Amino acid sequence: MIYLEIARSRVRSKLGPFALPIGLLGALLLAIGCFLPWSTYAGFPGKMLNSTPGGARLYVLLLSLFAVLFLVDWPGRSKALRGTSLFALIITVLTMLFVGYAGGGLVNCGIGVFVALVGALLYVVGAQALPEDSAPAPIRNLPDRGWRTLVETLLVVGAAVSALLVFVIGLGIPTASVAEGPDRRLGGAISLNDLTNESQFLCFLLFVCAAMLGLSRIGLVASLGALTKKHSRVMVAAALMSAVVFPFTQGGDGYSLRIAASIGVFAAAAIGLNIVVGLAGLLDLGYIAFFGVGAYFAALVSGSVTSVLDVDLPFALTIVLAAAISGIFGILLGAPTLRLRGDYLAIVTLGFGEIFRITVNNLDGSAGPSLTNGPNGISNIPDLALPGGFSFGDNHTLFGVDLPFQANYYWLEVILVAVVMTAFLRLAESRIGRAWVAIREDELAAAATGINTTRLKLLAFALGATLAGAAGSINAHVVKVAAPDSFTFLESALLLAAVILGGMGTVQGALLGATVLYLLPEKLRFLQDLRLLVFGIVLVLIMRLRPEGLVPSKRRQREFREPGGGADALAAPPGRAEVST
Amino acid sequence: MNLLEATAVTKKFGGLTAVRDVDLSVSEGEVLGLIGPNGAGKTTFFNCLTGLETPTAGTVMYRGKALPRRPDLVTKAGVARTFQNIRLFPNMTALENVVVGRHTRTKAGVLAAVGHGPRYHREERESEEKARELLAFVGMPKVGNELAKSLPYGDQRRLEIARALATEPGLLLLDEPTAGMNPNETAAAAELVRAVQGQGIAVVLIEHDMRFVFGLCDRVAVLVQGAKLVEGTPKDVQSDERVIAAYLGKAPEDLKAEKAAEKESSP
Amino acid sequence: MDLFLQQLVNGVVLGATYGLIALGYTMVYGIVQLINFAHGEIFMLGGFGALTTYLTLPAGTPTAVALPMMLMGGMFVSVTVAVLMERFAYRPLRGAPRLAPLITALGVSIALQEIVRNFYPNAKTARVFPQLVDPQQRFTIVGDVSISAPNLLTVVVAVVGMVALSSFVRRSRTGRAMQATAQDPDTARLMGINTDRIIVTAFVLGASLAALAGLAHGLRFGQVDFRMGFLIGIKAFTAAVLGGIGNISGAVLGGFTLGLVEVMATQYAPEPFAGGAWKDAWAFVVLIIVLVFRPTGLLGERVSARA
Repeated sequence: MIYLEIARSRVRSKLGPFALPIGLLGALLLAIGCFLPWSTYAGFPGKMLNSTPGGARLYVLLLSLFAVLFLVDWPGRSKALRGTSLFALIITVLTMLFVGYAGGGLVNCGIGVFVALVGALLYVVGAQALPEDSAPAPIRNLPDRGWRTLVETLLVVGAAVSALLVFVIGLGIPTASVAEGPDRRLGGAISLNDLTNESQFLCFLLFVCAAMLGLSRIGLVASLGALTKKHSRVMVAAALMSAVVFPFTQGGDGYSLRIAASIGVFAAAAIGLNIVVGLAGLLDLGYIAFFGVGAYFAALVSGSVTSVLDVDLPFALTIVLAAAISGIFGILLGAPTLRLRGDYLAIVTLGFGEIFRITVNNLDGSAGPSLTNGPNGISNIPDLALPGGFSFGDNHTLFGVDLPFQANYYWLEVILVAVVMTAFLRLAESRIGRAWVAIREDELAAAATGINTTRLKLLAFALGATLAGAAGSINAHVVKVAAPDSFTFLESALLLAAVILGGMGTVQGALLGATVLYLLPEKLRFLQDLRLLVFGIVLVLIMRLRPEGLVPSKRRQREFREPGGGADALAAPPGRAEVST
Repeated sequence: MNLLEATAVTKKFGGLTAVRDVDLSVSEGEVLGLIGPNGAGKTTFFNCLTGLETPTAGTVMYRGKALPRRPDLVTKAGVARTFQNIRLFPNMTALENVVVGRHTRTKAGVLAAVGHGPRYHREERESEEKARELLAFVGMPKVGNELAKSLPYGDQRRLEIARALATEPGLLLLDEPTAGMNPNETAAAAELVRAVQGQGIAVVLIEHDMRFVFGLCDRVAVLVQGAKLVEGTPKDVQSDERVIAAYLGKAPEDLKAEKAAEKESSP
Repeated sequence: MDLFLQQLVNGVVLGATYGLIALGYTMVYGIVQLINFAHGEIFMLGGFGALTTYLTLPAGTPTAVALPMMLMGGMFVSVTVAVLMERFAYRPLRGAPRLAPLITALGVSIALQEIVRNFYPNAKTARVFPQLVDPQQRFTIVGDVSISAPNLLTVVVAVVGMVALSSFVRRSRTGRAMQATAQDPDTARLMGINTDRIIVTAFVLGASLAALAGLAHGLRFGQVDFRMGFLIGIKAFTAAVLGGIGNISGAVLGGFTLGLVEVMATQYAPEPFAGGAWKDAWAFVVLIIVLVFRPTGLLGERVSARA
């Protein structure tokens, strides 16, 4: 890191006064390059040929717009420009390489990409040559005029809609089949053909990161955050509306809806885990078992032919019972173990998770009584059906728009996520939420202040279990099978990673974490074999670089960043009484 | 009946007897000072009263009933305490710290929290109001939104007292409330204790600042090496030879001999 | 009766492996309060290192030469990875809330498994390990009770390793420094002990013993698999806690106890929970029971106040 600083100050001293012209010229060239073709052959995704930029060209063009900051001395702009210009360069170079690879050589790239390359280089140099800037000053309130509330509301709605738009666009980016010839492998594991075919999504991802980075460095993200807090009701309504409207935009295609529904389940489970880990500070490494209890229960009573029980319960009853049974398991497991210190609790919960998996794997009639159909699990779970005949497996038409059956499950998931989110948010801001924070900060002091720490920890644990059970029961009907392989330790680790990556203690964090961890492996298939390796490395990196996660709660940020200020119960040594005197 | 009646409280840690057969009674609304050299067992005694340690022997009765052995139940019964090395919730604001103190006197549970019913709103409002009152009572009306860990030391001590008061105790145990304070802060602390007493709450304080103790307390008890040496009014304790000897490290007989020798040598 | 004795023998063999690996967990936890999740992978890497060494040896190398060389190879790999792990993943997180090193350890564990699976030739399924010690050769103990050669070797080397470690910790200067650091790191530093180096030593010793276990494991089962570290790692940790975390004798005792319990439960547990399919579950049950009823373990724990 220090070498970077030295290099940068050298650039600054030599080119400082020319930062503006160099940067602007670079951005201009970059923009022009985006309107020129980037490939000489048709078929590369992202509209590389015609003069309307799309795909990577569009992303780079948008990033070049940040160059307007060269003209305005806005606090934080130097960092923002350094980030966006660098990403613009990276996207340009990568696209050039991909187009070249698919086309059989760099000569088959269009003139535009080379112009853009030069432009990007100048852009980067110009940004590096800018003087260091002051800390970003987020605008927390617009000037107090009559139109203030209206404008703020529109901004908040816009933010909600944009977030959804980004998600939808990303989801919809297709995998191309442009690189079809003989494959080459990077490092023996990454298929270059696959990588090139998925490059569109990769570039989109880079673009989103770059844009977020740029906007946050000039303080706009913080401003938006303050605004959404101020108008939280509007935000929630807008987000909900966008989510509900989503299936109507899919033109009858169920692919994205299926993915979105799965993300919904993952997110609901992550938020549930967030109550246990993020709010109450209890490390649960076997959370997936509660999910599994709900799933198996729903499977058993679903009337499936492979279930040993010849029962078909109405779905509303199934959810409630599944949640209750999981909750009871939570209490049974938690009562004896929650007083253990942090890392021991982690191992014990891991043990419970494994015992669950081994048990359902063995109850197949030979190694144990026949209940869960062993390793094959219970399959052929029928679609949900509402009383009145509506089956979730049917397509139908609403307001004149064709809706695939995946939309039905999608909406169910939206309801689930909404319920879990509400529970989380309200609990966090309540007497119980405060007590959880107190326990996390100093369990002894919390007890001395009158908090029944055992009961409250058990409450968090059981609540998390209940929500997981509900989510699991729904999911059984979405994936149509309940098998031991779905409830491994790795799944618990993934859920935990979603909570941690997203940011403990916030709902947005859990949502983001779940989306990222589900979507990325799905969309970046070139990483197929290396998925888990990347996952492991990501875990290590987050803890090293940003342990509070991407969207942390203020409190968690303080705990991780500022030494000398408490942290979770995981840091407290086993109850030591006051000594001396 | 006394407010607090501790009888024959003993605490042994393996071979070490930290607290030896201590009797202590506290009446309604009185201020009692607990002094003694370092290592005398005062904090351990407090811990035995409040459930942080289980006494090896002896009983502790509060308002005629035996005190439970769990810290949160002790607080619920009406005995609150502060700690020698301040245990606030560092990343919560001052206001939040005090509001947490209201936990044991409020009832909103999961259903109320998630449902946002009338009980939830009412309790939240009342808790916040009460917390603000208490912050003002201890002399810090304006720091509500400051993080506890960024408050100056003296304010942190006062905040801890405010949090303890939020639990509506009948008896407040203060462990070295003036440790590290300058004379001004100490005087303010004395005022605060008197104000607490004025609210009808009895106070027992462990202290080393003698002027503070003798100027404030109705009665004083002295603990030496785990046992109660003497108990009485400040004047009695101050002039008791055994107390002086304990602090100066001499056996009483030697002290008497020294005094006699002094009298002889001075004209 | 013979069946019981045979199972006893089997339990001791199983326990030997657990004990060796448990020592690594216990030493590290005693000093830095970190459950090194990745220690199971260190064991796995030791096995793979031994395999690689074997593959580079010329054919026809006598077993008496091959085995020590394989051990060296395995130890080299294990120790290197352990040291790197400590230096780059754990050391930077020394002051952080405990969640951070735990998650990091998890990440390292997953990463190591995946690295072997993806980059070691043909490691996606189990790889054949040379059974240089003939598993068919059995030594009779009494009556029908016997022990196979590799199993006997495992027990012998495990005991040697444990005794060596024990006397090292108890008698050598470094060993005393380790005990001091485990009890009170700040004071140890004040006494001139380089606690960083002591921590690395703990990792190194643990890794060496794990590599030994890895080699023994390969010899016994004739294969090594990238997944073999996960489950054994958790069980070894259970053993360490069972005996008393931080306590070296405890790890040994815990290892053998857990091995015996696992074998006996598999044999004698009430139907339908007996049988091999449930053996792992029983190990976890032991873990939970120990932590709930006696978290300090059989011999008492030896952990420092947080450094």
